[in-house]
Amino acid sequence: MEFKAAKWIFIIGTSISAMILLGLTIDTHRQVTALTHADQLTPQVIAGKAVWEKYNCNDCHTILGFGGYYAPDMTKAYWRLGAEGIKVRVLGPDKVFANSMRKMPKYDLTEEEVKNLIAFLKWVSEIENNNWPPQDQKYKPGVNILVAGVGMSKGAALIKEAGCLACHSLGGVGGLQGPEFEQVKRDKDYIKNYILDPRSINPDATMPAQRVSEEEAEAIAEYIANLKEGRK
Amino acid sequence: MKYESQKIAYPYFVVALLLFVLQVVMGLWLATNYAFTLPQWLVNVFPFSTARAFHTNLLVLWSLLGFMGATYYMIPEESKRELYSKKLAYIQLAALVLVGVTALVTIFINGMGITIDNPWFNFNQGRPLLEIPRWLDLLVVVGALIFLFNVGMTILKGEHWTVTQAMLLTGLITLSLLYLFGIPVYENETIDWYYWWWVIHLWVEGAWELVVASLTAFALIKLTGVNKEVVEKWLYIEIGLFLFTGIAGTGHHYYWLGAPRYWLYVGGVFSALEPLPILLMVIDVFKWTRERKMELVNPLAWTYMGGGALYHFIGAGIWGFMHTLPQINYYTHGSQVTVAHGHLAFFGAYALFNLMFFYFAIPEIKGYRIYDDSRGKLGFWIMIFSMTGIGLAFSGAGILQTYLERVLGLGYMTAQAQMQFWFKAVIGIGIVFFIGVLRTVTDLLTLRPKM
Ligand code: HEM
Ligand SMILES: [Fe+2]
Repeated sequence: MEFKAAKWIFIIGTSISAMILLGLTIDTHRQVTALTHADQLTPQVIAGKAVWEKYNCNDCHTILGFGGYYAPDMTKAYWRLGAEGIKVRVLGPDKVFANSMRKMPKYDLTEEEVKNLIAFLKWVSEIENNNWPPQDQKYKPGVNILVAGVGMSKGAALIKEAGCLACHSLGGVGGLQGPEFEQVKRDKDYIKNYILDPRSINPDATMPAQRVSEEEAEAIAEYIANLKEGRK
Repeated sequence: MKYESQKIAYPYFVVALLLFVLQVVMGLWLATNYAFTLPQWLVNVFPFSTARAFHTNLLVLWSLLGFMGATYYMIPEESKRELYSKKLAYIQLAALVLVGVTALVTIFINGMGITIDNPWFNFNQGRPLLEIPRWLDLLVVVGALIFLFNVGMTILKGEHWTVTQAMLLTGLITLSLLYLFGIPVYENETIDWYYWWWVIHLWVEGAWELVVASLTAFALIKLTGVNKEVVEKWLYIEIGLFLFTGIAGTGHHYYWLGAPRYWLYVGGVFSALEPLPILLMVIDVFKWTRERKMELVNPLAWTYMGGGALYHFIGAGIWGFMHTLPQINYYTHGSQVTVAHGHLAFFGAYALFNLMFFYFAIPEIKGYRIYDDSRGKLGFWIMIFSMTGIGLAFSGAGILQTYLERVLGLGYMTAQAQMQFWFKAVIGIGIVFFIGVLRTVTDLLTLRPKM
C-alpha cells in the first residue's frame, strides 16, 4: 500500500467516526429532555445532585451503573427503599448497617440536604434507560427463586429480599434498629397495615413505609404472625 | 540519546514510579475493604470512596507523567534540536506534583465529611475519576498549556516534521481538550455521564492510544532499526482504525444512561471492532522485531514491548469485547466484570507501555547501553503472572455477581457475601503483585551498567 493511501485511511476513518459521534450527540441532546423528564429538574433535584457529589457517594455506590462497585446501585434506590428508607440509611448508617459486612460513613447531612437528595434519587429512578438494572425491575426474580428453590415461604423470602433485616432480626440475624421478629406479638392484619404505613398505627413510628404490594405485605405479615406460635 | 535536554525525562519517570507504588498500596487497601469488615470509626475518616479516588487518580497521574517524560525524551531527537525550554519543563513538573499532593490532601479531608457547600470550591468534585476539586483543574490546565507550548515550540523551531511527531502532538492536544469536558457542573445526571465518557473513554480508547502508539513507534524504530517510513505508514493505518472504531464506539457506555436507543446499535457495532487495530499492533511489533536491522541491545525493553502489546490485546481487546455487546452488557454493566477489564486493560496498555519506555530511555539517559537486567526480568514476570491472577479473580467475582444479582435477582449484599472468596484471593495475589512492583521500581531507580 502507498503511504498516501494509509494517510487517507487515517483521515477518512477518523472523520467519519467523529461525525457520527457529533451528529448523534446533537440528536441525543434533543431526545434526552423527554427520556430523563428534564422538565422535572426542579431546583430541589439539582440541589440533590450537588449533595450526592458533595459527599462523594458515587465512589462507593454506582448510579446508572457508573462509579464505585462497593455498595448497591442507586439508579432505582428510590423505588427500592422509598423516601423514608433512604433517609434512615443516610442519617444513621452506623445503626442501620451495624451488623452489615460493609459499612457506610456517617456524615452530618442536614434535613434539607436529605430531602434534596431524595428528590434527586426519585428523579433518577424515573429516567428511561432501557430497563437497567435487571435486578431492580418490578418483578423481582429473587423472591421466586427462594420460594421455588429453597422451599422458603413467600413471606420469609420477602423478608430476606425486601431489606427488612437491615433493621430487624430473625433467628438472631439482622439489624438492631427494630424489634426482633420473634418478639412481635401482633396479629396478621395489624402487622400488614404496619408494614404498609407504620404511622397509620403509631404516629411516632420511625420505621419507613415499605414499598411492597398488599399481597406481599400480607405474606410477610402471615409469616411474622406465625412466628410467635412456636417456631423460632 | 543525542541531546542534553532529553535528560529532563528522568525526573518525570522517577515521580511516576513513586506514584505507581502508592497506587498499588491503595489497591491493596481497597481489596481489604472488600474482603473484611472494617470498624465504623475508620470508615468515618477514611472510607472506601477516598481510597478509590486515590487509587484511580494516582493511576491517571503517573500514566500522564510517564507520557510527558517520554514525550520530552522523544521530541528533541525527532526535531533534531534541544528542547525549547528545560526550565519550563521543570516548572510544569512542579505544578503537576503540586496538583497531585494537594488533591490527595483535599480528597482525604472531604472523605472525613468536611465539605464546602459549593460545587466549585468543595474539596472533591464527587464524580468518579474526576474527583480533584474544580479550582485545582485550573492548575492542571496551566500545566498542560506549558507542556503543549514547550513541545510545540520545539517542533516548530526544529528542522523536522515527522509523522510520529505529528501524531503524538495531535494526541496530546486532543487529550487536553477532552479534559475540559470534565470540568463544568452539569445539572442533568444523564448529560453529566454522557460527557464524563468524553474524558474517560475518548482518552483510553482514543487520545491515549494515539500518544502511546506514536511513542511506541519511536522506541520501536530505535530498538530495531527498521525503516521509519514503513513504520509510519502502519502507524497511520492503525491509528486510523483505532479512531474509526473508538470514537463512535463511545456508544458502548450509552446503553443504560437515558440516551436514545440507537446507541445500542452504534455502540455495539463500532466497539466490537475495537480489538482489530490492537491485534494489528501486536502483529506489527513482532514482525518488525523479526525483520530488525540491528542487534537487540536492550532485550528487556523489547520484552516489555512485546509483552505489553499482547497484554494490551488481552486486557482491552478480549476482556473489553467480552462485555461490549448490549445483550451481555445489560447483565455485566457496573459489576466486578468491569473491574476485571479495567485492571487488565490499564495494566496491559498503559502501565506496561510506560515501564517499557523507562527501560528503553533510562540507560540512554544515564549514558550506557548494556545493563544488568536480571532483577528487571524477575519483576516483569512476577507482575505479569500476578496481574493475570488478579484479573481472573475479579472475573470470578464478576461472573458470580452477574449470575446471582443480575440473573437470579438476589439482593446486592447477599450476592457480595458469596463473592468473598474472590476478594480474598485478590488480596493474596495483590501482595505478590506488589512485590513485583517493588522489584521493578527499585531496579529502574538503581539501574547499573553491566560489568
Ligand atoms: C487500553 C484500552 C482500555 C482501557 C484502559 C479501558 C479501561 C476501562 C475502564 C477503567 C472501564 C471502567 C470505567 C468505569 O465505569 O469506571 C472500562 C469500561 C468498559 N470498557 Fe474499556 N478499556 C479499554 C479498552 C476497551 C475496549 C477496546 C473495549 C471493547 C472492545 C472496552 C469495553 C469496555 C466496556 C463495554 C466498558 C463498560 C463496562 C460496564 O458497562 O460497566 N474497553 N474500560
Ligand atoms: Fe470505552
